[in-house]
Amino acid sequence: MTVLGGIGFTAPWLLLGLLALPVLWLILRAVPPAPVRRRFPGVALLLGLRDDESVSDRTPWWLLLLRMLAVAALILGLAGPVLNPQQERAGSGPLLVVLDATWAGAPRWAVRMELLDAQLAEAGRGGRPVALLPLTAPGPLQFQSADIWRSRLAGLAPEPWQPTKAQIETARAAVSAAEGGFDTLWLSDGLTYPGRAPLLAALRNKGALRVVETGQPVLGIGPVGFSDGAVQLTLHRSDPGAAREVTVLAQGRDPAGTARVLATVPGRFDTGETTTTAALSLPAELRARITRFEIQGQRSAGAVTLADDRLRRREVALIAGRGDREGLELLSPLHYLKQALAPTADLLDGALLDLLPANPDVIVMADVATLSQPEEVALTEWIENGGMLLRFAGPRLAASDIARTEEHPLMPVRLRSGGRTVGGAMSWGEPKTLAPFPADSPFAGLPVPGDVRVSAQVMAQPDPVLADRVIAALSDDTPLVTRKPLGQGQVVLFHVTANAEWSTLPLSGLFVQMLERLAVSSSAKPPEAADLEGTTWRPVQVMDGFGTLREAGTLPGVAGPALAEAPLGPGLRPGVYDSGDRRLARNVLGEAAALSPAEWPEGVPVERLTLRPEQPLGGPLLALALALLAADVLAALALGGRLWPMRGGVVALAVLLLSGLAGGSLAAQPVGGEDTEFAIAAASELTLAHVLTGDARLDDIAQAGLRGLSDTLFFRTSIEPAPPIGVDLERDELAFFPILYWPVTPEQPQPSGEAYARLNAYLRSGGMILFDTRDADIAGFGAASPNGRKLQALAAPLDIPPLEPVPQDHVLTRAFYLLQDFPGRHARGRIWVEAAPPDAEQIEGMPFRNLNDGVTPVVIGGNDWAGAWAVDRDGRPLLPVGRGFSGERQRELSLRFGVNLVMHVLTGNYKSDQVHVPALLDRLGQ
Amino acid sequence: MTETPDLRVRAEAEAARLPPLLARADHLAGTVLLGEHGRRRAGLGDDFWQYRPAQPGDSRRMIDHRRSARGDQQFVREREWPIAQSVMLWVDQGASMRYASADALPRKADRARLLGLALAILMVRGGERVGLTGTALPPRRGRNQILRLAEAFSLDAATDYAPPEHRAMIPHARAVFLSDFLGGVEEVERALTKAADRGVRGVLLQVLDPAEESFPFQGRTIFESVGGTLRHETLKAGELRDRYKARLAARRDRLATLCRATGWRLGQHHTGENAQSALLWLYRALDGGAA
Repeated sequence: MTVLGGIGFTAPWLLLGLLALPVLWLILRAVPPAPVRRRFPGVALLLGLRDDESVSDRTPWWLLLLRMLAVAALILGLAGPVLNPQQERAGSGPLLVVLDATWAGAPRWAVRMELLDAQLAEAGRGGRPVALLPLTAPGPLQFQSADIWRSRLAGLAPEPWQPTKAQIETARAAVSAAEGGFDTLWLSDGLTYPGRAPLLAALRNKGALRVVETGQPVLGIGPVGFSDGAVQLTLHRSDPGAAREVTVLAQGRDPAGTARVLATVPGRFDTGETTTTAALSLPAELRARITRFEIQGQRSAGAVTLADDRLRRREVALIAGRGDREGLELLSPLHYLKQALAPTADLLDGALLDLLPANPDVIVMADVATLSQPEEVALTEWIENGGMLLRFAGPRLAASDIARTEEHPLMPVRLRSGGRTVGGAMSWGEPKTLAPFPADSPFAGLPVPGDVRVSAQVMAQPDPVLADRVIAALSDDTPLVTRKPLGQGQVVLFHVTANAEWSTLPLSGLFVQMLERLAVSSSAKPPEAADLEGTTWRPVQVMDGFGTLREAGTLPGVAGPALAEAPLGPGLRPGVYDSGDRRLARNVLGEAAALSPAEWPEGVPVERLTLRPEQPLGGPLLALALALLAADVLAALALGGRLWPMRGGVVALAVLLLSGLAGGSLAAQPVGGEDTEFAIAAASELTLAHVLTGDARLDDIAQAGLRGLSDTLFFRTSIEPAPPIGVDLERDELAFFPILYWPVTPEQPQPSGEAYARLNAYLRSGGMILFDTRDADIAGFGAASPNGRKLQALAAPLDIPPLEPVPQDHVLTRAFYLLQDFPGRHARGRIWVEAAPPDAEQIEGMPFRNLNDGVTPVVIGGNDWAGAWAVDRDGRPLLPVGRGFSGERQRELSLRFGVNLVMHVLTGNYKSDQVHVPALLDRLGQ
Repeated sequence: MTETPDLRVRAEAEAARLPPLLARADHLAGTVLLGEHGRRRAGLGDDFWQYRPAQPGDSRRMIDHRRSARGDQQFVREREWPIAQSVMLWVDQGASMRYASADALPRKADRARLLGLALAILMVRGGERVGLTGTALPPRRGRNQILRLAEAFSLDAATDYAPPEHRAMIPHARAVFLSDFLGGVEEVERALTKAADRGVRGVLLQVLDPAEESFPFQGRTIFESVGGTLRHETLKAGELRDRYKARLAARRDRLATLCRATGWRLGQHHTGENAQSALLWLYRALDGGAA
């Protein structure tokens, strides 16, 4: 392959064809365009006219250029151009591939593996034996066939730590021990770490060294902190390049337990910065849910930081037995507790029964002796569900009779009455100091300051269980802190006061540390080794190099100091560790971490990991040539005047092409338009509706009836309805219709549950259903007419109030017309409406009762109103009613009933208002 | 033959916009074909038309004394003129007429037939006899003649440039020739001369396509007549434009000269223009002698 200007050509000699282009230009230019044939009647006048010049018009320059470009593209395309051609590298002899295999390479691990695979394949073609040396898991060098290594590539994974000293030493020893020389390919992750220099020297002793790097900066995130009410995040990058924005995702579980992104934090590296910070302010509840922060798009362990107790601000309820004495702040039993806890915990104040529903993590009771019965029950229940009760002694507790004779559930031990005072003015002996903490105590390992003095305490009754419950004692072995489990929770008693009256303990730093150990508070700073002295931490979840958490399984526990300070390695993996109630996260990057790029000595060739694969350009160029030639055809036709006769074909072709392009988008048109159309049709105008029964004739009659009623309303009133609509209860939305006409036929299907739910919602929101059994009520309701039985079945699931026959003073009788009865095609049937409230009474002298509320949700009758209303398209009555003039009168009355009904639905009980009484009386002629 | 009703409908529409055409009466003596109904103007018929005040120059014998005796003024009794005129049409059916330079434009033949039939309808409505020159369709009255004309107009001739039909011309009738007159001018000359010999006067309407007027062609072109009988090749069509225009003007001059010599009138119409104006012009040209 020949490379010209970054583009390789598989057949470079074809490019000589480009030299022929000028010749082609001249030839094409000399050939005139084909003559245009035109029909022209005026040719009779042209006969005999001679041309002045014998030279024809030349081919236009742009057409020539088009053709030149087409030919040039053709020649270039056939020459086989390739973008980003791969240069073959020569080499022979054994090859050692050194991999950093750390988390820093995890984001582009797949690319690395592809590159490695390609290198191995090349070595395999060259018959070179290959050895692989991942520095995070080194072993003796095994020079084997490249194919064997290729099959093992899938097993390689980045580790979440940098190579430790021991590992580098192992690797160096393995390199030195290998016999003979070899070339080395070092796939670096781009970060420096101590101990690289000797390894580099050892490798260069053996042969040529080549380094491949990604060239992408490595991003990392430090441990989270909490200050100023916000979560503080520290972001690192290895390359102080141009400004860059990153997004940090706060992952956690939502209240439903689903893992999701709870918040995002933007971070920005300014130009030249390698470290930046971002702050995230979140409500405490949400903050406590966060389990990890990760940099978006960076799939590596270094771009993940796990959250632990430091983010979890515990809620501590403080309850004091004595009311605060004004002005005596320092004597307040809670003063030192507040001072100790305020920076790291959320403090709650209030009455005990008010605090318990808030479910605090810890309840601190300072010198509280007795609790009421409900308080005690509630508190016990809370502790048994995992709460922690921390009690402090005091004068009241000492003076009370609690836990004297038998163990009180809320006290860890029995107490002797009165307590004791040592080292006071009236007593012998010195104030006591603290004994060192026993090894099984949660305080184990904490240093005991010499200046802590206890001058008074409450004394525990000697008891068989006492020894197990003491977690801190004085120098004379009297218990200072006792603890007992209660259910899932625990009760802890400090045998001294929470203020400095009885001891100097609250004044010392030990007090804060003890509270931390008891998980009453959690430090906002990462723990020091000394803080964790004597503790053992069990791994809960550990991270792999990609930052994925997995269960720790049988990994051994880690000593506290090592967890705090030891470098990460196979024995200490990043992850979440716990000890008792406390949780600590060990992250890849510590507080003081900084990412610095790897430096390579002079003479070591460093290649960037190029991600540009070979891209043959021949196809696009040939396609371009074809397109240009097609354009030339069109242009030549246009010049020759032959394009327009072919217009139909051209248009068809264009339509074909465009439809091919637009087909996808057309097919993607939303198909749910039907519902919207129905809604628009029904809601844009007032529309009467009837229920489709499935009986085509009945539905037609109902449609025609509502059409007749709509016409009548249109002519006589200001209601101007749109043409009526038949609704399918199972499918259509009902909310658009003020009234539903429901003819009852024994054959119609029972609506489904969802339809009834919609119907009930419709009735509750002010709709009205007019049931029409169409049987003239021959049997009376509740009797054996088939329509009546069907009506009962249909209406049973409906939310219908008590009914009564229409009373004489119902508003239906005067909503628009004054009516006494409500005939349809049948004249006699009674109709039923919602019953008036029982307290409605007729006032003497008033024609009707004062019924001002509500519209009846149903009207039930059997007079076949739709039959009487029905008109055909021309407005002629469809069905006969009665006989002769009296029949027409009956039809008129039925229409008046329809008008009244719709008026009643639309205006409510407006006409029921007593204001109208005089006018109505006047009309009634009274 | 679906063309016929369409053509007729459009022609009726055109004709409906004009008052009935009244042919000039100065050829009354020549054409002795009396019409059945009056000409709606004063004349030598038997039917009373109107009384008009006597004017200087009126013969005293013309004074109607029964009318004049009722007052001081003298009246002349006029009678109606019951005359029918014969109008003969020749619409060029040659292939050269079946040309339109653009889709938006009608073919020249379509426009010429439309004008011809519209004119025929006006004539028939006015009581005239309308027919074609030649023996195929002699002048007759009545609505049926319209149908026959429409049918005759829908027949295309195969020849490229059809010569004017001048046989069987009724003496002292009127004639209307609609064509592009791009063919041999000698035929036109012969026809007009013959018509003038017989006392036939009339109108030539030259119907041209706008492209034939402006000659908007460029480049190497082979021009063919519509029938394909004539052909002319040029290397630069644009160079021919001025000379073509000059020849077209010369042809028009020749026709105008011919018309002046024979008493005919020459009109010009482009298919890009409104047909109504052309029909109006034809109406004026046929009726205009009276004005």
